[in-house]
Amino acid sequence: MSFVGNSGSFAVKLLLAGIVLAAGLFSCAPQRPYRAPVPPKRSVPPTPAPLPPPSPAELGRRPLPQDPRIREQDIRSKAPATAPATKETREPLKQPSVRESRTPVEPAPQPALAPPLPDDSSLLAKITPGVSPQRAASLRLTEEGKRLLDGGEPAKALTPLERSIAIDSTNPYGHFYLAKAQHRLGRYQDSLNFLDVAESRLGGELFWLAEVHALRGENFRALGQLQRAEVSYDYALRLNSGNRTAAEALARMQSDAQPASR
Amino acid sequence: MKRAKLRVFSISLIVLLVVTTSGLVFGAWFIKKWEQQVTEKFDGQKWRIPSRIYSDSYLLYVGINLKREDLLEKLRRLGYYSVQTTPKSKGEYRFAPAEGLIDIWLHDFDYPNEKVKGYPVRISLESAVVTRIENAATGKEMFSLELEPELVTGLYERIWQERRVVKLAEVPPLLVKAVLAVEDERFYNHHGVDPIGILRAMWVNLRSLSFQQGGSTLTQQLMKNFLLTDERTLARKIPEAVMALIAERKYSKDVILENYLNEIYLGQRGSQGIFGVWEASQFYFSKPLADLTVGESALLAGLIRAPNRLSPYRSAEAATKRRDTVLAKMLEGNIISRKQYDAAVREKLPQRSLVKVTNEAPFYVDYLRRELEQVYSNDVLTEEGLRIFTSLDLQLQRMAERALTEGLKKLEATHAALRKKSAADSLEAAIIALRPQTGEIKAMVGGRNYQKSQFNRVFQAKRQPGSIFKPFVYLAALMYGGQSGIQYTPDTVIDDSQFIWSYEGQEWQPSNYNNEYFGAVTFRRALESSLNSATGRVAQDVGIRRVRDLAHRMGIQSPLPAVPSLSLGSAEVTPLEVAVAFSTLANNGVRTRPLAVKQVMDQSAKVLEKRDVRVEQVVAPQLANAMNQLLKGVLDHGTAASARRLGFTRPAAGKTGTTNDYKDAWFVGYTPDLLAVVWVGFDGQSKLNLSGSEAALPIWAEFMKAATANMAATDFVGPPMPPGESEGKCGPAGREGEVGGEPCAPATVPARAPAETL
Repeated sequence: MSFVGNSGSFAVKLLLAGIVLAAGLFSCAPQRPYRAPVPPKRSVPPTPAPLPPPSPAELGRRPLPQDPRIREQDIRSKAPATAPATKETREPLKQPSVRESRTPVEPAPQPALAPPLPDDSSLLAKITPGVSPQRAASLRLTEEGKRLLDGGEPAKALTPLERSIAIDSTNPYGHFYLAKAQHRLGRYQDSLNFLDVAESRLGGELFWLAEVHALRGENFRALGQLQRAEVSYDYALRLNSGNRTAAEALARMQSDAQPASR
Repeated sequence: MKRAKLRVFSISLIVLLVVTTSGLVFGAWFIKKWEQQVTEKFDGQKWRIPSRIYSDSYLLYVGINLKREDLLEKLRRLGYYSVQTTPKSKGEYRFAPAEGLIDIWLHDFDYPNEKVKGYPVRISLESAVVTRIENAATGKEMFSLELEPELVTGLYERIWQERRVVKLAEVPPLLVKAVLAVEDERFYNHHGVDPIGILRAMWVNLRSLSFQQGGSTLTQQLMKNFLLTDERTLARKIPEAVMALIAERKYSKDVILENYLNEIYLGQRGSQGIFGVWEASQFYFSKPLADLTVGESALLAGLIRAPNRLSPYRSAEAATKRRDTVLAKMLEGNIISRKQYDAAVREKLPQRSLVKVTNEAPFYVDYLRRELEQVYSNDVLTEEGLRIFTSLDLQLQRMAERALTEGLKKLEATHAALRKKSAADSLEAAIIALRPQTGEIKAMVGGRNYQKSQFNRVFQAKRQPGSIFKPFVYLAALMYGGQSGIQYTPDTVIDDSQFIWSYEGQEWQPSNYNNEYFGAVTFRRALESSLNSATGRVAQDVGIRRVRDLAHRMGIQSPLPAVPSLSLGSAEVTPLEVAVAFSTLANNGVRTRPLAVKQVMDQSAKVLEKRDVRVEQVVAPQLANAMNQLLKGVLDHGTAASARRLGFTRPAAGKTGTTNDYKDAWFVGYTPDLLAVVWVGFDGQSKLNLSGSEAALPIWAEFMKAATANMAATDFVGPPMPPGESEGKCGPAGREGEVGGEPCAPATVPARAPAETL
């Protein structure tokens, strides 16, 4: 019995030593870099087909005809819209790696787009003599909220921004920055809701419509709905090819997808 | 004989021993018990600090219409007091009508996320418009100014003790010395009980043959306030003295003094007791402790003896006399110099009227308390001094209260049948006002008399809405079109004649008011005139399930059975639900969640939660605007046209509602900036025999006239048309009509056809 016992113990020790040795050798072996699992069908084609800028009539349709984002049943259930059942939409949000965040991203090939629009982001510039006192006060409060947002205080920014839409509910910029604050606070669905309102109040302000679509893309991306994000970024660029948020995000998405295609 | 004496002596000795021993045992037991009480009080939670509920703050901006009287009243309610010269300290204001100026030195206020130190501001007015706001200290122009929220009420169990606890180091030494000078000169020289003080008090009282002085030390007073009653008996004095000795043995003089300064009662504002020196400084002088002058410190110290009798609010003369006595004591004790004394006695007491905090929005407070109780326990709400910021506009609340009370009185005066049916069944009403853009509930009156009935009819009473449900039918028609293929527009002709709707083996036949039928009518006319038969036909064509789903989508949460009578408002809903649903229209199709509680802060000014504005575009803006234009017609020439005769002339949309059996009268109406719902009826379901336009509309009109008096008159603005899009375009996919599809209704409703003959 004892012999058996001793030899059993020796065998176990030998087995363990073998496992440790194998593990050591494995760890020293050159490794292939880690790649995130890639869906069989990419969400972003490496070279998107050039898209023409939207026609004025197309702008009037809101949201995009190809945007399947909101459907009646989604509204009724108050749930975020469900994405088309493709594998890519189920992919969780991919955090940019350290390498990605440090190296400049190679600009993605751009479709033939309209020239960049002049910067129309100054809200104070919109306070002209003809502007109503409500709108003027509302714009100043929006500006204050924007300043707090830029200072990294989205929670604080909510108060002046909510006041801005209370004074003037037709102020689309107040709604836009509320959407931005909600996005920063990680409330992506609320952000999308505010963007819907902002868009409905913007009319033909292409610069701002592009901002709305770009932020919408950011929300979709954060929600892991990459196809919708791509559509939104793309539309933002068609409205204003100078929209940096959309351009950078698209480029990032394309660079994320690049290794998988090899 | 000798033996008998010995026996008596022995028995007496035994009795004495027994008595002494039991006395010692009982005494020790009592001392132990009192020690435990003292320790528990000092080391545990000393004070129950009620939560405070605040109204919304008041925002002024350049260009706002402002009724001066309203602003001055607001300042008065916030505890500001009028002075003749330029304000020199916090809490003062000056109104100079000739110059069109209002100078205010703002109070300090701890807003959520921000502590604001008071500063002087100057507001320039031209007639009723604010033309300039500037920081009077720096001369810098400001574009908006926030006046702090008003305290609405406290949440407390039995008594409302208003108190902010401060450290001894935060109390100015001069105030501490003044308190000690008048209450316990030998505080640092005794051990809780002061025999010398007692003898001196007895001597003073004997000499004057009246009660002039008490011999209690400050520690004894604290023990009395902490643990005992106010009765002047030996049975209370003994434990007080023993507890004072225990406290002095266990705790330092500074700890005792700090507790005393926070505990002491110093006045009354209505139901609100003012406790502690910090709260008293705010109450009497609107100042932080650090800013108190010598005279003000002396006045506070002097108040301890009889806070109400010596209050400057009650008698400036008595308060001044007492203050001067304290100042004399301070001079005598070398606490202040002669120069300081002379300056202090010359200080004039501010002439201020006492603004009592009376809960002017009890129904609103009940509503938000229910909301808060889902998150915080009752103990937390009543003891931990939370600060709760709400959407309440107290000015609108007062207007709503007044409109409701006077409106009901008028109805009872003109309709004898409405006068009290029984003790339990008197005419009741409810009103709720909210801001459609944000969902903020600005005012809520849940009944006629809160003292008699706390039943809040705004969110607890489910009643049939009657015709105010019809807009959901018409909106569904514009949105989806009919199953027959009809694409409804405001000018679509509908048959308003009797018909029978067969469903699930049953039949339903709507009948018009007075059994009057109009034959061919336009869609617009059918809505404006609230024609039941025409509405029934539209609902049948659209599909009652679609109507039901749309009502839910817009904010009705009560179950709605998909039966034909739903189209005429047979399913019971609350006024709150109606308000939310119609605010979706007022806000161009964006539904907001009703918001009463905005932020909650704890005692250390940490924000515990913030309830944000939440929006959701649930109806295409073009459709919502089309409905607004149609519902404007209800006020301009429909069933609510009497609103114009009642003097409400602003652009507004609305709908009357009367139930079939005349038990409920409703009116929901809104401008782009404010929406109000009024319900009138009996709790016991007795008949009103009045329509919505007769019973509810006059109350609504009175409220809205007052509430919008200072607002700029704005009209409904539809969504801006994108370039290239022509008005009224209705795409092929427009049958969907909801958000995400194309609008099928015109963005703006064309004016009434002049030749419309119906």
